[in-house]
Amino acid sequence: MRSAALRSLGSLALVAMLSACGTSTSTTTTSSSGTTSASSAPAAGATTVAIGIDMPLSGDDASIGVPTKNGVLLAIDEANKAKALPDGFTLVDKTLDDAVQGTHDPAAGAQNVKTFISDSSVLAMVGPFNSNVAQSEIPLTNDAGLVQISASNTNDGLTTGDNAAKLRTSHPDVNTYFRDCTRDSRQGTALAAFAKKLGWKKIYIVDDNETYGKGLADIFDTQFKAVGGAVLGHDHLTKGQQDFKALLTKARSSAPDAVFYGGNTSTGGGLLRLQMADVGMKATPFIGGDGISDQQFITTAGAMSNGSYYSFAAPEASKLATAQAFITAYKAKFNEDVGPYSANSYAAAKIIIAAIAKGIKDNGGKLPTRADVLKNVAATKNFDSPIGKIGFDKNGDTTAPILTIKKIQDKKAIFVDQIILKS
Amino acid sequence: MDVFLQQIVNGISLGGIYALIALGYTMVYGIIELINFAHGDVYALGSFVSLAVLALLGVQDEVHGAALIGVIVLTLAGSMLACGLVGVLIERLAYRRLRNAPRLAPLITAIGMSFILQNVMQLWKGPSPVPVPQFIPNPTLFHSGAVEIQLKQVLVVVLAVVMMIALQAFVTRTRVGKAMRATAQDRDAAQLMGININTTIALTFLIGSALAGTAGFVSGVYYGTAVFNAGFAAGLKAFTAAVLGGIGNIAGAMLGGFLIGLIEALTTQFISDQWANVVVFSVLVAVLIFRPSGLLGESLPNKV
Repeated sequence: MRSAALRSLGSLALVAMLSACGTSTSTTTTSSSGTTSASSAPAAGATTVAIGIDMPLSGDDASIGVPTKNGVLLAIDEANKAKALPDGFTLVDKTLDDAVQGTHDPAAGAQNVKTFISDSSVLAMVGPFNSNVAQSEIPLTNDAGLVQISASNTNDGLTTGDNAAKLRTSHPDVNTYFRDCTRDSRQGTALAAFAKKLGWKKIYIVDDNETYGKGLADIFDTQFKAVGGAVLGHDHLTKGQQDFKALLTKARSSAPDAVFYGGNTSTGGGLLRLQMADVGMKATPFIGGDGISDQQFITTAGAMSNGSYYSFAAPEASKLATAQAFITAYKAKFNEDVGPYSANSYAAAKIIIAAIAKGIKDNGGKLPTRADVLKNVAATKNFDSPIGKIGFDKNGDTTAPILTIKKIQDKKAIFVDQIILKS
Repeated sequence: MDVFLQQIVNGISLGGIYALIALGYTMVYGIIELINFAHGDVYALGSFVSLAVLALLGVQDEVHGAALIGVIVLTLAGSMLACGLVGVLIERLAYRRLRNAPRLAPLITAIGMSFILQNVMQLWKGPSPVPVPQFIPNPTLFHSGAVEIQLKQVLVVVLAVVMMIALQAFVTRTRVGKAMRATAQDRDAAQLMGININTTIALTFLIGSALAGTAGFVSGVYYGTAVFNAGFAAGLKAFTAAVLGGIGNIAGAMLGGFLIGLIEALTTQFISDQWANVVVFSVLVAVLIFRPSGLLGESLPNKV
């Protein structure tokens, strides 16, 4: 009786796990400025053009996803006020959340993109925020010919190399994916150089095993060794892990000058930093990429967030003369400070709006096709934006890469350095 | 060597949390042979209730002296009581009517309850990890070389062991405990002997869930955060601990919990963090092949 019952336990547990995995693809729709879907017939003479926004808007990622979304909303708002599109055309946003149970989710992102594709009023989209989400979205936009610009994806494989080629499944010769931030190969290299400049010689690396986190950590690993540093260990977190004390004890035993983390706050970065206090690593500095550039990192790690460094693959808007008007307008509209990628998403939306406007003009005042918008976005060169003159190369990467490094002191992020790279 | 000892300390304190959760799994399974999948979420709820009690008491920072004892007792009691009542409610709503239904039915309602609890917690406090005030000072009690034992680690282990001994005594020494054992052995016969089955089972859920509440309180204190979906992973590990030790056996659940904590910590140190789960479940498979009823499963004939 007993062993028969036990045997059935295994299969029951399996059923439970499967069902638990299958339920997490819900997405919520939030609309901030009157979303209209294509199915609702436009009022006489007024055509609605929608820009899709896919960002993580709930949970841990919300503290960085929402300010990035807001950049797009501001651009749409301004464009409507300034009549950037000819009379009879109105811009709206169609905003979807790709966070499931508190963290960005590739399956939810893919579902959101399918929603955009099936809505014929959506001519372009901004997003996603996270590289692994982009990984699942690019094949879909490539198939549908829908242009997407990300303000924050930094993984190299999204635009270059074999991986990028594999993502363009339906139309290998067409690129629908662009980004106005720079890549992790540059971010990782800059972080390694910065770590060396701070005098760190031995670093322990931890990553979250995601597309972005592992990619960045691997680059940092290679680059830090290349500048003469020693990597004492390189470990990967497991999704959903909460106890990092054993891992940190192991790290401490090798006496590192700092701990490098490749990943997001939501995938373990905040808790990892917080638990360093419990294993006697209170004074050991912590350094990471743009995945911990969110406010949530400071909330989760509390006082332990002090003494952490991070970079993000965009300029610090407050340091740019060209971005001051944007910052003022952003604060006036949303009553909060700009996020690390708000200016980038604003610029991305501006590029899309300009491409749509040109499309309408070229099409004799009629609604352009998605292919027209894609063509115009791809041709972007020297586009004036708050983050400088930007354009895209043939892979979809920005031609004006800039990185920023910040330090957290007294639970506030302080500007440390801005690195302008040659494209 | 120091690192090895330190990892043993880490493993035992992590195992203490697993053990506390595993006790609840094992009690419920021992009596009605149901895997209460909502149990892990009751544990997560414990952290949230502790948070709420701390907020009620206005505790935000470290508390010292007699006030500290008071805060610990109140928070722990609040968490145990709330979780215990939720456990009883779950039993009443989702399991009682299905007690004689095919096995799959209560399993599915258990998963349903698990999701309901998760989503209620998510609605209550949002999906981000919520910081729990660090009100217990955490001095290092023992220090030798690189080995440190902190107050919180001792607290986890002491609570787990005390709870286990109390539970064991309750089940073997009291009248109600005897009724539980009788119900576990043969429900119908127990009923014929005049034991109120419904009350006995409800009481089992009350105690098991109160233990999960204890674990929730401890984890909130130990990790400094409460996450709404922490119950799934921890619940699965604790369930594994219960099976490893011999499901239905109180000492076995404890042993299984500590073993899994230790295996995780040592695998992290000597192999890799990523392999921790692989090693844990490999050990489980190996143990079950050679001892299908778990480590202590047969040596003690009395189920809960």
